[in-house]
Amino acid sequence: MPNASATTRRGLLQAGAAGALAATVPATARAQQSGPARGEPLRVGVMTDLSGPFAGAGSQPLFWGAEVAIELFNERGGVDGRPVQAVTADSQSRTETAINEAERLLGQERLEVITGIYSSAHAVPLAQRFEQARKVMWITSAISVAVLKVRNLRYVFRPTVHSDQYGEASVSFVHEHAQARLGMPPERVRLAAIYEDGPYGTGVAAAIEAQARSRNMPLVLKEGYSASAPDLSTLVTKLRRERPDVVLHTGYNPDITLFLRQAKAGGLRFRALIGHGAGHAQIDRLTETFGNDVNHIYNVDPVGTQMLDWSKLRPGVGDLARVFVERYQAKHRVRDLPAHASMGFNNTWVFLEHVLKPSVRRTGGLSADALREAALEVDIPVGGTIQGYGVKFVPPGNPMSGQNERSFPVVMQFEGGRGRVVWPTAIAGGPPVLPLPPSSPFALRS
Amino acid sequence: MDPFLLEALVNGVLLGGVFALPVLGLNLVFGVVDVIWLCYAELVMVGMYAVWFLHTQAGWPLALAFAACLPVVAALGVALHLLVVRPLLGAPPINQVLATGGVLFVLQGGATLVFSTDFRSLGVEMPPMEVGEVFVSGTKLAAFVAALFGAAALWAFLKFTYVGTAIRAIARDREVMPLMGVDPRRSYLVTSAIGGTLAGFAACLLVVQLDVHPFVGLSFGPITFIICVMGGLGNMLGGFLAAFLMGILVSVGGFWWNTEMSYVVAFAFFIVVMFLRPRGLFAR
Repeated sequence: MPNASATTRRGLLQAGAAGALAATVPATARAQQSGPARGEPLRVGVMTDLSGPFAGAGSQPLFWGAEVAIELFNERGGVDGRPVQAVTADSQSRTETAINEAERLLGQERLEVITGIYSSAHAVPLAQRFEQARKVMWITSAISVAVLKVRNLRYVFRPTVHSDQYGEASVSFVHEHAQARLGMPPERVRLAAIYEDGPYGTGVAAAIEAQARSRNMPLVLKEGYSASAPDLSTLVTKLRRERPDVVLHTGYNPDITLFLRQAKAGGLRFRALIGHGAGHAQIDRLTETFGNDVNHIYNVDPVGTQMLDWSKLRPGVGDLARVFVERYQAKHRVRDLPAHASMGFNNTWVFLEHVLKPSVRRTGGLSADALREAALEVDIPVGGTIQGYGVKFVPPGNPMSGQNERSFPVVMQFEGGRGRVVWPTAIAGGPPVLPLPPSSPFALRS
Repeated sequence: MDPFLLEALVNGVLLGGVFALPVLGLNLVFGVVDVIWLCYAELVMVGMYAVWFLHTQAGWPLALAFAACLPVVAALGVALHLLVVRPLLGAPPINQVLATGGVLFVLQGGATLVFSTDFRSLGVEMPPMEVGEVFVSGTKLAAFVAALFGAAALWAFLKFTYVGTAIRAIARDREVMPLMGVDPRRSYLVTSAIGGTLAGFAACLLVVQLDVHPFVGLSFGPITFIICVMGGLGNMLGGFLAAFLMGILVSVGGFWWNTEMSYVVAFAFFIVVMFLRPRGLFAR
């Protein structure tokens, strides 16, 4: 039955997948014709969720960001004239499909590296498979600490932020502003962590719990739920009973919209709502659904590059960011790029420019071992990427080997469908609006 | 009584009302045609898209969009019967299940191609009702009342009309009734249209509570099937009562333990029911 279903779906979605493929392949073809990249293509896997619930929760912009990176890389000559050819796969928001597609890319397509991987639920089992196959897995999105922690993986690299950093950022943000903006000492701020119950949500929630404990802040409710649950009204009831000041939510979609809708209908009030990536990063979609009701909610994520002061980045990086943002906006007609678009572009660009290029130049070909060596040599200082962070991977033999030790998230706040950085204070675009103003339907009434 | 527990109980009843309509439609089709429409939740999804499109894109008043949704999904139910189910009526049950399962992916894939994977919202909400410390969602309450109305209308149709009586007779004994002048082919067709109409009705109630996307059926489809089996496949009243039982189990279980455990509790109860009453809790 599952096999039959998968085959049928694949057939049915052929046109859609072809569209997604076409979006990349013609770009390569254009580059081969018009740009200097004319040699034998370098084939790189790109696996994201182009269908299923994850597609609308950030995986689609993640792919589009990677697409722009490959397009631009080829236009700039690829690797000494050799263009990158993306071999795409749609993991359909299902772990078993992600595993099957990875097997196809590694086995039939004989790829040495696969980039992308939106969901931690996919990344956790896939990481072991890549390690066994000795092929490179370059994670551009999946954040769960469980992907890498204490597994001593040698072929898995994650340039982006991990879940422990999400928990640290949100709790630090609340701790830092409690007295001045909430008028109470941090030890009296009541926190509640709600999360989807996959590796992503549980990872962030565990980090929040650890951070709250270390700062002596009360965590009055910590509760998981299935992202496909048809109803979250009981969770809303329990939150009302526990009266949290700050709700820390980690979810995909549509669970986030379901929660917000039922929270409003259920009379839930709080002083702040902090999301942690995925569905909370899709502010265009949330604004389309809720209008001004989602004003002043927060999201923790690697920063969307458009929120940074590009003049403060390393030379040339700001120009790269500008080209990316202009192309993405022109292509997809969005006002404010979701963080996943920047993640897709940035982490793919780091791979192409700082791993693939030196590796191919050194060996003349494409091999996982050479890519791995090049990855371990990457040394980009802070300010050297369009998302502000640097890149230096933790070497093998360490508990977090393969993790970028220079990555960091920020806390963003949204208003009118646009975001701005409010933490860390050093790069903030102004103070946060905290607590929620009375105009918000979620604001606590005194 | 703890007002929050009371609120959880009320939420459970309202949730049961949401489950009830698709359960009735699915049970009706199975009881009469003896085929499980594995794609039932996807018919609901098509109905949700129809309402969303007509209201937000074509600018139709919501009531008109609701009214148009019913015949659209009813026609889909008829098409499903004529094109997929009828040719397989004499085939082994597994073939029928696989065929309607295939339609599930056709509808999901079609919706992805036409509407993309974006989440669509109707943007309609009703103010909540506040009684003491208990909050009741106005939208869910309205959907619950409408579901009860739909169930009552279905009961009246089956009880008091000639066609309804024929349908019930076919459901009771599909071998003998043709010998007594009941045309099973016509009954199957009418049943499929009613099954589709109920899916359309469920779509109208769900589209004000959930975002529409091609995979929205995953949110309520599996639990709908479980409720049908728990109440007794083909047993309308059993399914209807089981929907409320499941709603209360999920809601109160989530309140006492946690939201994840609520489904564990509900499914554990389902397994126990299957051991004790394999034909369903309310099987005659």
